[in-house]
Amino acid sequence: MAAAAEQRAGFVKNVSGEAFIERNKVITAAKVKGELMENDVLVTGRSGSMGVILQDNSVMSIGSNTRIAISKFVFEPADEKLSFTAQIKKGTVVYLTGLIAKLNHSGVKFDTPTAVCGVRGTHFAIKVEDPFH
Amino acid sequence: MRYKPLLRIQKITLPLVLLVLLMSGCASTTQVVILPDPDGKVGALEVSNVKGTQTLNQAWQATESASVDRAPSAPKILEEKQVRQVFREALEAAPIPPVSFIIYFKKDSSALSPESLALLTKVIDAVQARKSTDIIISGYTDAVGPVDYDRRLSLQRAKAVADILVAKGVDRQNIQVTYHGKSNPLVPTRDGVPEPRNRRVEITVR
Repeated sequence: MAAAAEQRAGFVKNVSGEAFIERNKVITAAKVKGELMENDVLVTGRSGSMGVILQDNSVMSIGSNTRIAISKFVFEPADEKLSFTAQIKKGTVVYLTGLIAKLNHSGVKFDTPTAVCGVRGTHFAIKVEDPFH
Repeated sequence: MRYKPLLRIQKITLPLVLLVLLMSGCASTTQVVILPDPDGKVGALEVSNVKGTQTLNQAWQATESASVDRAPSAPKILEEKQVRQVFREALEAAPIPPVSFIIYFKKDSSALSPESLALLTKVIDAVQARKSTDIIISGYTDAVGPVDYDRRLSLQRAKAVADILVAKGVDRQNIQVTYHGKSNPLVPTRDGVPEPRNRRVEITVR
């Protein structure tokens, strides 16, 4: 029943170099058109980058050496359930908001090890330094 | 005999684990920069931790948070060039944002007007610019007519649009057709009320 609650969060739009999706601790190479689910982790290596489109038509892309989890993604406008939380462990992320931020002003949040970004709109970049480099 | 190697492993592992925690606890500086939207406007965001909050609302404005023990730094406007350098890879990987189009129909009709056919060439341009493999075509009617009839008509409208896109070279496998009948109107009306703005097909290119 927990599995049934998992939501499609979006899909991979473009991939370059070492780019992976980690789902339930299993890591697979990220593929163009590949589905993204709530709780997936987007991971890139030294040369990787990746662009994704989420269900609310928001757009996110990441540079190399990045690790970001889609820790919460709920997009049910009819029931006014609208929320997206990402957790960035390290790396660079660029995000352009979509319908969730538009319809729910406190609906989009990016957590990092040292801060929380509450997003009202619309286009921004976050860098989290990798503590090991 | 069997405990000795285990102990040795413990001795090696323990300091390493401590080191990991210390490092990740103090060195993950977060930098947040607000960028102008594709149309030039600038939104707003709040960067906070337990010690304080900063608001960013001007283009290229940035704040840093080096530790949970200190509030994020006072916002500072960075040079665009510098930001583009730091985020070059992520900016280059950014997909073109999805775009939506609406095509309107005459009462009881699934035929496209000359203006609608012209709009479809813009849809084709959007598909090509994005190399889109994810095109959603949704048909709707106004609130006139029985539910079954409206559902059929909304499907016919969506299919008519899909067929033209396919004829113009779009791969049918990349198209998802949905139909809603009189549900999800753009302009809510009482049942039986004609409303041209609800007789439509919405196309989203992602």
